[in-house]
Amino acid sequence: MKLYYFSEMPHHEFPDEEGAKYPSLRLDFPNRFFNPEKARANYQRYLDEYEFADRAGFDGLMINEHHSTPSCVNVSVNMTAGILARTTTRAKLLILGNILPIEDNPVRMAEQLAMADLISGGRVLSGFVRGTGVETWWANSNPVHNRERFEECHDLILKAWTTPGPFRWEGRHYHFRHVNPWCVPLQKPHPPIWIPGTASPETAVWAGRRGYTYVPFLVPFDVARELFDYYRQGAAEVGRTAGPDDFGFLICAVTADTKAKALEAGRHFVWRMGPTLRGPVEYFSPVGMRSRAGTQFAMRARPRSLATMSYDELLDGHYIIAGTPDEVIDRFAHVRRELGIGHLLLEAQESRMDHPTTMRSIELMGAKVIPAMATG
Amino acid sequence: MRPREQTISVGGIDVHAWTGGQGEPLMVLHGAGGNRGWTRWVEQVAQRFTVWAPTHPGFGRSGDAPWMESIDDLARFYLWLIDAAGLGRPHVLGHSIGGWVAAELATMSPRSIDRLVLVAPGGLKPERGEILDIFYHPPAELRTLSVHDPTTIPEWDELFGRAPTAAELETAVRNQEMTARLTWKPYMHNPRLARFLPRVTNPALIVWGREDRVVPLDCGEQYRRLLGNATLSVLDKCGHLPPIEQPDTFARLVIDFLRGPIRP
Repeated sequence: MKLYYFSEMPHHEFPDEEGAKYPSLRLDFPNRFFNPEKARANYQRYLDEYEFADRAGFDGLMINEHHSTPSCVNVSVNMTAGILARTTTRAKLLILGNILPIEDNPVRMAEQLAMADLISGGRVLSGFVRGTGVETWWANSNPVHNRERFEECHDLILKAWTTPGPFRWEGRHYHFRHVNPWCVPLQKPHPPIWIPGTASPETAVWAGRRGYTYVPFLVPFDVARELFDYYRQGAAEVGRTAGPDDFGFLICAVTADTKAKALEAGRHFVWRMGPTLRGPVEYFSPVGMRSRAGTQFAMRARPRSLATMSYDELLDGHYIIAGTPDEVIDRFAHVRRELGIGHLLLEAQESRMDHPTTMRSIELMGAKVIPAMATG
Repeated sequence: MRPREQTISVGGIDVHAWTGGQGEPLMVLHGAGGNRGWTRWVEQVAQRFTVWAPTHPGFGRSGDAPWMESIDDLARFYLWLIDAAGLGRPHVLGHSIGGWVAAELATMSPRSIDRLVLVAPGGLKPERGEILDIFYHPPAELRTLSVHDPTTIPEWDELFGRAPTAAELETAVRNQEMTARLTWKPYMHNPRLARFLPRVTNPALIVWGREDRVVPLDCGEQYRRLLGNATLSVLDKCGHLPPIEQPDTFARLVIDFLRGPIRP
């Protein structure tokens, strides 16, 4: 099983009691609490940690993008991919992902991804996501068009990567007279595509039909298995049998020299589960963004919000794994057995987890956990 | 006098409509909350006019129209419905987004309609203040923001007094989705509408609640200035839902205006 290092590049640099005064840390919390001096140092630190994860032996470096929230100030995955393409040498660059429905220029996105793929020597794994409602508000993109735009943006990017230009694109949401990018990916026919999932059966089926790697984020195991079944259904429709390499899973994880230290570090993940996900449902899922099936599935998939769970409950549910390298190896193996996955994505830095703790966790993962998980 | 329900097929869409009353035709276009049917004010106005109250495509029991993109599409659609249903040259009354539809269709074809009643319509960008973002607020909060004082609303219990059924919740979501489809961006207004409103010289009555927290009264003043022959009537102690908040006063205003002399 392959392991991926991931940081949301949070900006938890404000008094928590200030954040608590607002309905949500997303959209509402004023950016006067953004501290440029702290952010300048944090970006350097986060990039150092990514580069160290590359040297330590992680199979991939995962990056993501959010907007209008202190939980993630990586505001451009393609910019970060461009940096890491140049400063790292071996790990895959898992961009998970570009938020397609809010993108107004898929051709530019195709070019940027191609450039990152070229600079990195063909290491880009190109994830495409629908985004949360927060990103839809941020971009002022009509939520009722979210799925249509996701699919059309995807189709245009793939065509830009694989069909010699120039050609014209007159779709429902995108219109381009001349598509002829002078930058196409190194990987042929195109970089592998990854799709995350939290609640949408349609997305799982869609990814299965296309043979994309599918990764549920922070859901209970039974929900992940159900989503994988939807994926297999899609794969079967096109005569394909899905295997472990088609499936990934995302959890939060940290290791340390002692169990006590690891548990202390792991507690920082509670912030991302709780305060950063707090807010009215309209912010995260504006009207029309989800289909009826998706809404119903989401209600079943999340009988309890992560925000209401204690640290112990999050540990018991495998949303967070924190322990010595041996303990972490056992837990990862358990996740692999339960889900039959080939990729485990580790949100491995969070909030106020300090730099030395993060670096030591990366080091121990590289020295002990990654080799142990590489087989099987 | 009981209204009847019917289906009018226009452009491949089955439009559900309430119809009833007597007299000249009056087409009533509902707001984002959906078609509330034969409420108290409609009952009164239907004593004097034949009321046609269609449910917008994508709302309630009308068919879907996922291809529609804007309020202008809906306005063009209603011009077609006026012909298809044989309404002749009806008076048109619209509330909130229905008022915006009425204003747009009047600019497209002023001779297709007789008099115009716009009740707290969207459509224009306020010069002062902002139109409330109705998609950003949970339903209960939005209801509070929509009215001035729930305790003075005679039909409150009938309309909002019990928890909605699953089917009603489903309809509410569908109504919201279609509203989002039509009004998301630019939010709740058409930057070009103000340029076309002076074409409309039909007698027009604009009704606004002085305490409207959804669409600022400022927009009512703009409509009055831009339309060629309009009166603005502002109701005190009233929010965004004059037909529901003050049904008797509202019905009287509408009847008097539609039956009154034409101002030169």
